[in-house]
Amino acid sequence: MPATSTSYWNPKTETLPKAQLRALQLTKLQRLVERAWQTSPFHRRLYDQAKVTPEQIKTLDDIRRLPFMTREDWMANQADKPLFGDLITRPPQDAIRYHLTSGTSGRQPLRVLDSRKDWSWIADMWCYGFWGFGIRPSDTVFFAFSYGSFIGFWGAHYCCEKMGCLTLASGNMTTEQRVKQIVEMGATVVCATPTYALRMGQTAEKMGIDLKRDGKVRRVIVSGEPAGSIPAVKRMIEEMWGGKCGDTAGMTEIGTIMIFECDHQPGGPHIIEDHFIEEVLDPDTGEPVGYGERGERVVTSFGRGFIPLIRYRTKDLVCKVPHTRCTCGRTGDIYEGGILGRVDDMKLIRGTNVYPRAVEAVVREHHEVEEFQIVITRVDNVQDEITVKIELKPDQQECWPRLQAKLGKDLADAHEGLRFNLDLCKQGELPRFELKAKRLQDLRPQY
Amino acid sequence: MTNHDKDLLGNPLSKDDKELLELYARLKALAVRTDLPPVVTANAKQAMVMLWNACNDLALIAEEPGCD
Repeated sequence: MPATSTSYWNPKTETLPKAQLRALQLTKLQRLVERAWQTSPFHRRLYDQAKVTPEQIKTLDDIRRLPFMTREDWMANQADKPLFGDLITRPPQDAIRYHLTSGTSGRQPLRVLDSRKDWSWIADMWCYGFWGFGIRPSDTVFFAFSYGSFIGFWGAHYCCEKMGCLTLASGNMTTEQRVKQIVEMGATVVCATPTYALRMGQTAEKMGIDLKRDGKVRRVIVSGEPAGSIPAVKRMIEEMWGGKCGDTAGMTEIGTIMIFECDHQPGGPHIIEDHFIEEVLDPDTGEPVGYGERGERVVTSFGRGFIPLIRYRTKDLVCKVPHTRCTCGRTGDIYEGGILGRVDDMKLIRGTNVYPRAVEAVVREHHEVEEFQIVITRVDNVQDEITVKIELKPDQQECWPRLQAKLGKDLADAHEGLRFNLDLCKQGELPRFELKAKRLQDLRPQY
Repeated sequence: MTNHDKDLLGNPLSKDDKELLELYARLKALAVRTDLPPVVTANAKQAMVMLWNACNDLALIAEEPGCD
């Protein structure tokens, strides 16, 4: 069978029966915990405090004996023992890569190191996703990415080189230059954040370029924002680009992606379960939740040797459903709807829970909207107000009275009747983003 | 790593599995040698980590190869 005819990057483990997959995860977990215990003082302290030893990990359920690892602990460790803390298992001189978290949370970025082997593994995880979404060596892949210290699509770039694709980097380009090169080079795959994929499409329109007619893009792979799994956002991207849009999600803390949408697109991405254990827990109690229930992702990664990541609390909200939801044959379970938001990005407005992703899902159902921003304020030190600022597409200005009424109703219906204020902004007034968009401004006093 | 005859799942190794493991072991041995010119060491390390990926993904090994 020619290598390119399989739909799996790794047919052996991507289709393993669940019992064998669990056995493989247990073997890898036991070795990982042993290695962390031996080589990472950070982990040794955590386990000593929890009175747990590697020999106690006899079944997969024993993972719950292990303490959680949090970003706060990791940041404090790096602050106490600059620059990298004592979580790392080897001297920094053994590393070949240095990256930082994106800083979108407004906190001190985390510093991460990778060995040559780690970096190769990071690219390999992207290969699972790219191959699974139909990318092949014959593709020309364009990365709308700045190639800075944020890890972003770095691993994906190396994945495409490994797969044998013609790989186009665009670090120093303007949006207009990127659009031109995508068309000129006949790129068949474009990689960007969902926000930036939309922005490139809008820019192309302004340049008089019809990407569907003038371009050859057949796949748009997005990452970095929960919007990648919002159906309305995907539809907009697909209508602009003329190619299928697939979501992936990863994090700097693991260096790569842990979930990807396969070509069948069953409504969410598959977990790469031969390389990760993804627990979904009640964020308050730390107890597991069942299939179909929302909870917090807690990840254990088997691949990164420099930084053992074991039971790391991600604060990502997800809803896991069985792999049988998809007919592709993979046995990795699925996160229905992708990353649903953050446990800590919920805003309480006059007694109603508001998640930015849920607001975006409603706003993006209205094709007249080009850009938006959510602003939360407190009036007279008492009443919280939520306002959605809207920028319309240039040819949609007349629709505002109708849209204002409809959008206001849709947002209220999706939020237990909560009243949203809607403000119309001028063209170009709202900020645009290349990496992760920051569309929420909470201007209430912080105590 | 070449002296075992089963993968991590307990399946017997195929001929291809054995060849991959053999190549990985040979490259790993080359990668840690200190008497070779940089051109050999650096490229042996690159090749070794690529083989590590194949062996690791196929559940033939679960180890850190131990060089940068």
